[in-house]
Amino acid sequence: MSWAAHDLEPYAIQKHAGLKLAFVPLLIGSYSPDMMSKWFVYGIHLGPWDLKASDPAQFHRGWPGVGFTHSLTYGLLIGLLIWKVFGSKLWGVSFMIGQFAHALTDTGDTVGTMLLFPWTFHFHLDAWAYAGQTGRNTDAAAYFSGLGCMWDLVWIVYGLYSWRVLTSAYFDEVIYRADRFWPWLNRTIPRGALLTLYRAAFFYGTSRWIAWTIWAHVIHHYPYDLSWGGPHWVPAAHP
Amino acid sequence: MPTRSDLRVFGGYCVAAAIYIAIGVTWIDFLFSFWVGLAYVVLTCWAVPTLVRRFT
Repeated sequence: MSWAAHDLEPYAIQKHAGLKLAFVPLLIGSYSPDMMSKWFVYGIHLGPWDLKASDPAQFHRGWPGVGFTHSLTYGLLIGLLIWKVFGSKLWGVSFMIGQFAHALTDTGDTVGTMLLFPWTFHFHLDAWAYAGQTGRNTDAAAYFSGLGCMWDLVWIVYGLYSWRVLTSAYFDEVIYRADRFWPWLNRTIPRGALLTLYRAAFFYGTSRWIAWTIWAHVIHHYPYDLSWGGPHWVPAAHP
Repeated sequence: MPTRSDLRVFGGYCVAAAIYIAIGVTWIDFLFSFWVGLAYVVLTCWAVPTLVRRFT
């Protein structure tokens, strides 16, 4: 799983697509595979109850489980549903591309994703360890010690290199014009607030990346292991 | 090249990010929620500057 790439990739995709894609469904698509499942992967306490998947990796990425949310099939189906139900091809296609980005990015870890579900084969590059089953803090420490965080860094650097996509002028000329959602929102929310909302995911992804890096390596001194499949000090899950 | 105005806006976001990071490193639950991050950035990068401009 990735911790910041899903926040940042939509900006890079939008940069190349321009008016052809809408940013909001692109971002929703990018977040969608983990929206309903992450809390059950890490577990939560609800009063006397501890709710957690008995096999978090299987639940998150496998079948039986909700792993189908990480397949291209899921993105295609939900995209088509959005197109047909809400009558917006732009939103349907944008959602689908955002979801594809998520599903493809998550093939980078050791569990990978069932891209071609219902075929349950996991496509996995094994570049970084999947450690969701260890709990959220150890998962964070492991992720920010391996190649996964370097993949996130690529998107941060690319975003800063493409700084124009974050400017007010780009928002007015491309983001706002590409999607009627923004003018509709602008009837009740001032334009300055909309611009901030547009920038929020980049802010969130980048700030979180820095914060987790400081937490893992300055405060807790977890060792970096940038070897393929690392860090090897954490037990990686496999399909 | 970025204009002076672009750099001023970027500086504001950097200050907001530094505070967000400081809070997050101290209390990591703060880092987990996208909605908390969204509310934080709207508050610090839009609401507060808008109010300051209005009252100065």
